[in-house]
Amino acid sequence: MRRVLLIAGLVFGAAWVTPLSAAAPTMVGKDAPDFVLKAVDGTNLRLSEFRGQVVLVNFWARWAGDSRQEMPALNRINTTYERAGLVVLGISVDEDLRRARDFADSMKVSYPIMFDTGSDLGRDYLLQKMPMTILVDRSGVVRYSHVGFKRGDDRIYLEQIRELLRE
Amino acid sequence: MNFKSRIVSIILSATLLAGAAGALPQAAAPGAAPAAAVPAAVPVPAAAGAPTAAAPDAAVPTAPDAAAAAPAADAPPADFKTLDQEVQGLKKDVIDLNKDLFVLEEELLFPANTQVAVYVSMDVGSFFALDSVTVKIDNKEVKNYLYTAREADALLKGGVQQIYLGNLKVGKHELVAFFTGKGPVERNYRRGATINFDKGVGAKYLELKISDKVPKHQPEFTIKDWE
Repeated sequence: MRRVLLIAGLVFGAAWVTPLSAAAPTMVGKDAPDFVLKAVDGTNLRLSEFRGQVVLVNFWARWAGDSRQEMPALNRINTTYERAGLVVLGISVDEDLRRARDFADSMKVSYPIMFDTGSDLGRDYLLQKMPMTILVDRSGVVRYSHVGFKRGDDRIYLEQIRELLRE
Repeated sequence: MNFKSRIVSIILSATLLAGAAGALPQAAAPGAAPAAAVPAAVPVPAAAGAPTAAAPDAAVPTAPDAAAAAPAADAPPADFKTLDQEVQGLKKDVIDLNKDLFVLEEELLFPANTQVAVYVSMDVGSFFALDSVTVKIDNKEVKNYLYTAREADALLKGGVQQIYLGNLKVGKHELVAFFTGKGPVERNYRRGATINFDKGVGAKYLELKISDKVPKHQPEFTIKDWE
């Protein structure tokens, strides 16, 4: 009996402790750090100017294979929910601006693509892996953070976007 | 079995403790009327002295006090009013304190003796659409600011932006400002303006001014030293 309880305790303990110690820090629950970046079309966009709207910030890189899958999915989400108050912003962290621009052109997305030439933004948003997608609610708080992209993740994005749009 | 009985006893004692904790606030309530209980829960008004009549009633919930609390229940609006006024007063104090703290912080971080503030303003701006401003003081970049359409519009409407606030020691300094944007006929435009100024004792205010040079159909960039 004691052995069974001991094993059960160990299993529960491991399950409780492991995610806490292994979880990387995220921005969830914190105010989204403000930024202003230049978009492909030459306009400057500031995150805080979208306060009152739900903002999806997608950090991507040309060399990250998942970005190639994620960007068309985000484009579909943008075209559907843009009128409902969703703003999608794509931020390239590529160092090679020209190639990043070519890649963005080839993806033919309708949402603004910007280029982060400084390194502060990656640090502010605790970027771990590319692509990384962050959902900011109407009051400017980071509510969801997704690292990487796999097939079916866009459905999770949709559920979370709908939830934030309803608030 | 022995172990089982210990678990059962622990669960039972936890349940009893939880029940007791849940019952505690209710135990204080039945003696006193709800209105009388409010000042007791908030110690600040009692310390301030205003609801002194209600506070002792609520603090000792004995049987005679419970009877005395009954007429007090007829006049809860007065109690609530004073409480509300005091909450409003406290809020005002917090705002005042916050303002004082802000002023103190600014004085500490940027003391008047070394303070230098740089502002940006636009007058008309028909020949120039502002994109960014870079400020260099003594050949060191201190600010690079990208303007969104909304911000540029606010400047065009007469807004003045504090682009930089920092410290400089007394003596001679040089400020260089680079303005980037779209000039006449939608051409990319980049111009610089320089000022050599003497930083004395006291704050220094400089204004980066963008205006139109109508005869030449060109924008003009000047730096004004506010004495």
